[in-house]
Amino acid sequence: MELLAIFIAAILINNFVLHYFLGICPFLGVSKKLDSALSMGLAVTFVMTITAVVSWMINHWILIPYGLDYLQIVSFILVIAALVQLVEMFIRKISPPLYQALGIYLPLITTNCSIMGLALLAALKNYNFIEAVIFGLGSGLGFTLAIILMAGIREQLDLADIPQPLRGAGIALIVAGIMALGFLGFSGMIK
Amino acid sequence: MLTKPASQDFIKGLWKENPIFRQLLGMCPTLAVTNAVINGLAMGLATAFVLIFSSIVVASIKKLIPNQVRIACYIVIIATFVTMADRFLAAFFPPISKSLGPYVPLIVVNCIILGRQESFSSKNSVGRSLLDALGMSLGFILALLVLSTIREILGAGTFLGHQIMGLWFKPWIIMILPPGAFITLGILIAISLQIEQKAKNKLQRR
Amino acid sequence: MKISSQMIVVLTSVGLLSGGFLATVGQLTKDRIALNKQKEIEKAINIVVPGTSSSHKLYEAKDFSVYGGQDAQGKLLGLAVYVTGVGFQDKITLMFGTNPSLTKIKDLTILDQKETPGLGAKITDREIFLKFWQNKDCIQPLKLRKPPVSSLEELAPSEVNTITGATISSESVLNIVNSSLERLRKLKSEGKLLAEE
Repeated sequence: MELLAIFIAAILINNFVLHYFLGICPFLGVSKKLDSALSMGLAVTFVMTITAVVSWMINHWILIPYGLDYLQIVSFILVIAALVQLVEMFIRKISPPLYQALGIYLPLITTNCSIMGLALLAALKNYNFIEAVIFGLGSGLGFTLAIILMAGIREQLDLADIPQPLRGAGIALIVAGIMALGFLGFSGMIK
Repeated sequence: MLTKPASQDFIKGLWKENPIFRQLLGMCPTLAVTNAVINGLAMGLATAFVLIFSSIVVASIKKLIPNQVRIACYIVIIATFVTMADRFLAAFFPPISKSLGPYVPLIVVNCIILGRQESFSSKNSVGRSLLDALGMSLGFILALLVLSTIREILGAGTFLGHQIMGLWFKPWIIMILPPGAFITLGILIAISLQIEQKAKNKLQRR
Repeated sequence: MKISSQMIVVLTSVGLLSGGFLATVGQLTKDRIALNKQKEIEKAINIVVPGTSSSHKLYEAKDFSVYGGQDAQGKLLGLAVYVTGVGFQDKITLMFGTNPSLTKIKDLTILDQKETPGLGAKITDREIFLKFWQNKDCIQPLKLRKPPVSSLEELAPSEVNTITGATISSESVLNIVNSSLERLRKLKSEGKLLAEE
């Protein structure tokens, strides 16, 4: 099934962080603890799926029919900024405990390359509506998977004795590299 | 408080406040397009274009923008220049546009650019903002060149497409792939921190 | 409130200025970009249907288009299929040319691929991979020759070469061509390929 292929590809083969290099800032910044990593991952997945829907609508109902594709970048980024604001207000009203858990991470998501990257990639790959939604969902879950794995490893690394220059970003990137190496093994899963 | 000389605005972007190695900003495009020197160079120039012109515009009209809507305005201004860069590349340099792919539009969310508008251009004169933008841009380009040179030479044996390693060299393909990007950047950041630390120690001993 | 109206004025003017600016840039570059795309396709058609002096589109669907290549006298030399399919890492976009009766593959060229550099990416290499696709019999589905051979003579008329260490990428190209041929034959029998001589 084509949809299943897109879904699996988004999570494992073309993982947003480890293959497309999108979302590195939160990936490095919020992966120190497992529970905050999970919250960030879920927040991103949520926003990604909605963004996939909205950006598809804007692209196919407004931009392409009226030949306005040069407005793609401006419209996408403004929509994402607005969307994140709305999602934050919505969550705050509907479920305060959920807001407590996710809330702080949401504003960080706007300038997060992963959301804009998702909108651009879905448009580039010319997905139809359903494919775009699955792509959004899969990419978000892929991001979540990567960030959880990273957090798990970093919690252990905290106990290790790492040379001073490597601490922080240095070792995190090297670990990410090894993870990316592992994920390379998923290539060719889909024929 | 002494205001730093204008030259400092330019120089700090090259090393002390290098956007990639020290501020750790803009890593997404850095990792993605440094698989070949030509790509890193093109991305650096495109980003420089956006950063310089956005800084000029923001510094020029900063007094007109109300505080509450400043981020939205910055984003629109930045997005405009990014679109210009993207369309220009697609029209006049199609093969480069193809290899850079979605990463040129992604300049719009490159934290370096929004960061400079927020922390510098909105509070300083056009002249100083221009110097700041030039310094940061050059620092960014240099970092991209270092990373992409290492990756291309070790990963393909070429530099700007020209074979420079002899036939005895079996390329480390991994350098062109994602893992190579992560690991190289990690090591470079560690090295730059080490250099900085050694310099500090020297100063303290004097 | 004064601040509110100033906010709206500023936002609107910035938006309008940006929009106007981008509209100008968009218009200026639009034709150039379309021309680039057209040139890329024409160049590919000239490779896969040698001798073409003009071409026109016969059929178009998502990720699958068929062009007809004609010589200077207007005679149909062959069909060029422009298709995107699944590769090892990501999608592969290629074009291959056939004779009008769909019995021979004239040539093949890769237009876009994101395969592994140094391995799968070698499918763009004429010496290692593409030259083995010239003048193949395609009445029956083409087959992959494993292990790879080094000279054209060793291949059977309906066999194509594999790349060492990149079997899946080579196979992906094969599958894309075989399934495209099937689709092409079906379209032809249904009369969907217009203006054929």
